[in-house]
Amino acid sequence: MTTIPEPVTRAARSMADRALSWLHANRNLGGLPPDTTETMADPDSVYKPLGETTLAASLILRDGVAGPGRLAAAQSLMDFTWEQFRHGDMIYERQLRHTLMTDPLEMYAPFVRCGYRHEGLDRLLAHRSRMRSAGSVEVLPNRRLAVANAARIVGLPATEDMGALAAATWLGARPEPWAVNWITAYAVTHTVFHLTDWGADPGGLPPELTDYVRTWLPVWIDVWREVGQWDLVTELLVVGASLEDPYVRPEDWEAVAALQHEDGLVPRDSDPVDDDPQQRFTDHQHTVVVAAVAGSIALARAGQR
Amino acid sequence: MSSHSAFAEAADALAVSVLGALSGTGGAVQLARYVDDAPDTLAALAAVRVLGADVFSPHLLKGDPFQAQDAAVVAKAFDAFPASGAPDEPAVAHRDHATAVLLARLSGDDTLRTVAPAPPEDAALAPRDDWSGWCVRMAQLAPLATLGLDGPVHEAARDGVLSLSRGVSRSILRRDFPTALRLVRWLAWLRHEGAELPLDPDVAAEHAWLVGGTGPRTALDLAIARHFLEQRPGTPPKETARP
Repeated sequence: MTTIPEPVTRAARSMADRALSWLHANRNLGGLPPDTTETMADPDSVYKPLGETTLAASLILRDGVAGPGRLAAAQSLMDFTWEQFRHGDMIYERQLRHTLMTDPLEMYAPFVRCGYRHEGLDRLLAHRSRMRSAGSVEVLPNRRLAVANAARIVGLPATEDMGALAAATWLGARPEPWAVNWITAYAVTHTVFHLTDWGADPGGLPPELTDYVRTWLPVWIDVWREVGQWDLVTELLVVGASLEDPYVRPEDWEAVAALQHEDGLVPRDSDPVDDDPQQRFTDHQHTVVVAAVAGSIALARAGQR
Repeated sequence: MSSHSAFAEAADALAVSVLGALSGTGGAVQLARYVDDAPDTLAALAAVRVLGADVFSPHLLKGDPFQAQDAAVVAKAFDAFPASGAPDEPAVAHRDHATAVLLARLSGDDTLRTVAPAPPEDAALAPRDDWSGWCVRMAQLAPLATLGLDGPVHEAARDGVLSLSRGVSRSILRRDFPTALRLVRWLAWLRHEGAELPLDPDVAAEHAWLVGGTGPRTALDLAIARHFLEQRPGTPPKETARP
């Protein structure tokens, strides 16, 4: 069995359960505005957060380590976001309208993971995957990994060499660990997320990168804990839980669990939390998603043999 | 009247002198002349005590001759500011003892070791899970990262390569560049011993200095680190003295 200390599983259970409750209770605050079409002015405002909520719910269902009530809540969240996307029609229309965009594929992948499918979108994505043009869109290497992993989940033919993609990332260079900055640290976390398929395949992270991450993760968690960058810290906890030999320090997990509000909100940083429900959702929904993912992955790893 | 600021100024002035001797841009350090010429003798003696083992760097690393009158000045500095016996200052005790060991060795007078006795066994020296707290301690002990010394602090450094490397990274990320350079000095010393390191201390040292290096004492840490990095890895010191 993978070694996850009991204080970590306790903190992970608390984080995941309460985060899921919060996402479910506040789901309507993240709904798409009426008459939203496939061409949206600001996809980061609601469209992307809906995808993140879908991702968290899909991983909780995939990992299957939550209690029956929580699994029902996760399924309900998936149904909610699927409905928001008009049962996939909106994702399909967006991909149809914007052939080179990768976000429809990434948005669709968590649904596919849980058995939701859209026939038209499946055909469109299969067609798109054969286009040299779509495969040649210029994106950052860690983003290219995200697309490749989404394609893998959706079941599209493999066209990417994951090892080569990994080597092209900042993490792949195994650079000076003291030169990392805030945005690059997010690039690192996402490189690990996609290579390991969110903790399901720790071996997907090449051994030399696993060693590198294990060597420097304690430093990165330490410095971003000190400045209260809780969103990034929680992503780094996901990284630690996703390693072949997980790096899960009880003090770190307990620190994040202790920050979580009674209703499940996890503050993104050390700034005061706004009282307005909509503002709270806008500011902290991502961190709550990450807390749910972190907790679920740690619990799943604890149960592995 | 000597003051804290006068002590600090004197320590910086002595560090500049040692740095010049080490780099070859200044003459050999003559501690006796430095103290004789100082406007504030007590501050000058305090400076000798503050720099501790680092005052011997030109003699240890470059082979500059060490004069009997210089040994007398160091002994006099211990008279003016006796070695710490406070149990809550273990780092000071280790530094004082290291200074005494080198003083005895360079002067050829073994009785001078007694100006600062060996500290009792220090369990806190062993690297532990709290690598960041341990690195704070090792940064305080950076003057021991030199030639001619070997003892429990050095054993701890050998056992703590990963922790020291993490400490360097943490210090740079926190923009605590003096601490980063003190820890880089340990890594450089380890590299000189032939240790494999998970980061390049040369690049880290240059970066820390360019971004945030300031003051002659930090410059001295950098110069000593550079000395080790420029030597062939694994080159053993000619002679070491166990504290």
